[in-house]
Amino acid sequence: MDLRPAEVTSILENEIKDYQGDKSMQSVGTVLTVGDGVARVWGLDDCMMNELLEFSGGVRGVALNLEEDNVGCVLLGDTTKVKEGDQVKTTGRIISVPTGRALLGRVVNGLGDPIDGRGPLGVSDEDYRPIEQPAPSVVERQPVDTPLQTGIKAIDAMIPIGRGQRELIIGDRQTGKSALLIDTILSQKTTGGGDPDNPDQVLCIYVAMGQKQSTVVDVVQRLEAAGAMAYTIVVSASAIDEASMQFLAAYAGCAMGERFRDEGRDVVIMYDDLYKQALAYRQVMLLLRRPPGREAFPGDVFNLHSRLLERAARLADNAPEINPRYAKGGGSLTALPVVETQENDVSAYIPTNVISITDGQIFLEGTLFNAGIRPAVNAGISVSRVGGAAQTPGMKKIAGGMRLDLAQYRELKAFAQFGSDLDAATQKTLARGERLTEILKQGQYVPMPFEEQIMIIYVGTSGALDDIDVSRVQEFEKTFLQHMADSAPEVAEEIRSSKKLSDEGKAAIDKAVAALKPQFLS
Amino acid sequence: MPNTMLDPVTHRYAEALFCLARDEGVFDAVRADVERLGREVNADGVGDFFFDARVSIETRREKMHALTKTMHPFVQNFVNLLFDKRREEVLRGLAEAFKAMALEEAGAAEGVVESARPLGAAEIAELEAGLGKKLGKRLSLENRIRPELLGGVRVIVGSKMVDHSLLGRLDGLKKGLLNAPLPSLAEA
Repeated sequence: MDLRPAEVTSILENEIKDYQGDKSMQSVGTVLTVGDGVARVWGLDDCMMNELLEFSGGVRGVALNLEEDNVGCVLLGDTTKVKEGDQVKTTGRIISVPTGRALLGRVVNGLGDPIDGRGPLGVSDEDYRPIEQPAPSVVERQPVDTPLQTGIKAIDAMIPIGRGQRELIIGDRQTGKSALLIDTILSQKTTGGGDPDNPDQVLCIYVAMGQKQSTVVDVVQRLEAAGAMAYTIVVSASAIDEASMQFLAAYAGCAMGERFRDEGRDVVIMYDDLYKQALAYRQVMLLLRRPPGREAFPGDVFNLHSRLLERAARLADNAPEINPRYAKGGGSLTALPVVETQENDVSAYIPTNVISITDGQIFLEGTLFNAGIRPAVNAGISVSRVGGAAQTPGMKKIAGGMRLDLAQYRELKAFAQFGSDLDAATQKTLARGERLTEILKQGQYVPMPFEEQIMIIYVGTSGALDDIDVSRVQEFEKTFLQHMADSAPEVAEEIRSSKKLSDEGKAAIDKAVAALKPQFLS
Repeated sequence: MPNTMLDPVTHRYAEALFCLARDEGVFDAVRADVERLGREVNADGVGDFFFDARVSIETRREKMHALTKTMHPFVQNFVNLLFDKRREEVLRGLAEAFKAMALEEAGAAEGVVESARPLGAAEIAELEAGLGKKLGKRLSLENRIRPELLGGVRVIVGSKMVDHSLLGRLDGLKKGLLNAPLPSLAEA
């Protein structure tokens, strides 16, 4: 970053010419105690809840506890600069973050300050939005009816996610939760060619809370390499940041997403992860002496997550007429919160809370992951409560059959392990299930377009793969999709435009399968 | 500006004494006694003696009686009550709490005016009148010299501050400059 002295001089000139000192009456206070990232302040009579405070060292803080004779606040910067007896000023500003187009492609911290070393954001005062906003009301919403393609076969086929939905991703550590999010971001490139100015492009916000710095760097590099950063904002409050930043980052990211949602865009926001956020919140609240409840979490830990996730919504087309706060109707904010479990215990406090708030959950299981089934989605207990309405008709029809086949397979598999004398019908169900499971496996960072998903799932459910050896199913899938792209691209094109698989399409696929199959039967 | 949070117990005891004195019409006498008591108790050495657990409670009570025997009966009773309830600690902040209540009752406020050079009585009176009108209170300001302000004045009343000092303006200018985006960076 090189500075031009002449430029600095001109800024100085302007500032001095227009400088208006703050002559109004300010509210001040004195630091009584400070430590562990929180401070208690005497005075500050007119302090507002969530107001940004300024300490004499230039450190900022947020008022979180307004008590009878003092204000409890969290510090957002270098806490060593604050001393007892320091003066504190109110700023008259509720904590807010920059939002808008300028943030796309950037990595920012929980206050919206860039941390990617690419200079200031260049946003104006109007671009700032308070991080806490009321969620859209009932009349300002409309039902979820448009799919959000994750590019992951197992999810798009069986646990479809709609735009404006809140779908929890839950599982132990090392089960591929974050990988699933990255794939979803990469997959959004197909919606608008990766051009953030294309109104069809789904924008992505990845909020990393309490993650390792190295993980965040890895994610950013992945996205950059795939050209996905152009339509993505990464909000990072990693493990070394103050606990206050870690829990505020979720709201900051949400405010950034809401800005786009209110402008009629489709946005998907990922909170990775809410368990760590709750831990950070617990730390701060215990230090502020709020009474602890179950597992020492404060009493409002449910509200911490519910008020955040309620802000995910699909806005009604006439939302601007109801509330001028919205610039344009029809936008959506889809939330994909992540919760990490310990030893698959989904009945712990935070997981049950978030499960009850969200519209369904994708359960990732370590045993499946280790058995080579990746993504390790447990299709039996994963659900999507509203996504079914959003699934495209073509996918719905084809995936319905697969879900049934897989359910029967899972039931029989447990019995089949005991005996070897199975009747032909049972063997057939088992064979079908094994091959469908094989089809649902997918590599990391290779999201699959929706039309290819439909074609291969159609092949699986039609029973054409039942006599191919299980170990060769993935190879067949690859050959088949390549063959379709080369010799019959019109089938994929037709599915893309009509959103369903026609009889002619089915015939073309059957023909291709018949042509390819002999080389896999040897 | 009082720099300590008032202990709620002190506040409650002081309020009781204050209301009693006011309602019985002996406010001025009690106030004078309370002020004297506060001065004595907070004087060097004396306080240490009164609040030292190694000194027997009887001795402390005796000495305190010697101090208060010329005071108003309400104050004497008050001190006796404190010893009975083992709340001697209340004596420390009593004068301050009492004063704050008296000011509140009279619609007055005390504050500090900081300046780089000593202010004349007329200047202070002008500030008192002007700001008092804004705050809706009778203001009495104490002048404190702070050379680092460079110029102008800074008035602090309770938790309100009006900053008209050169230092405050320079700070504001510094902040404005740091937040001003450089044109060359905006282009990039």
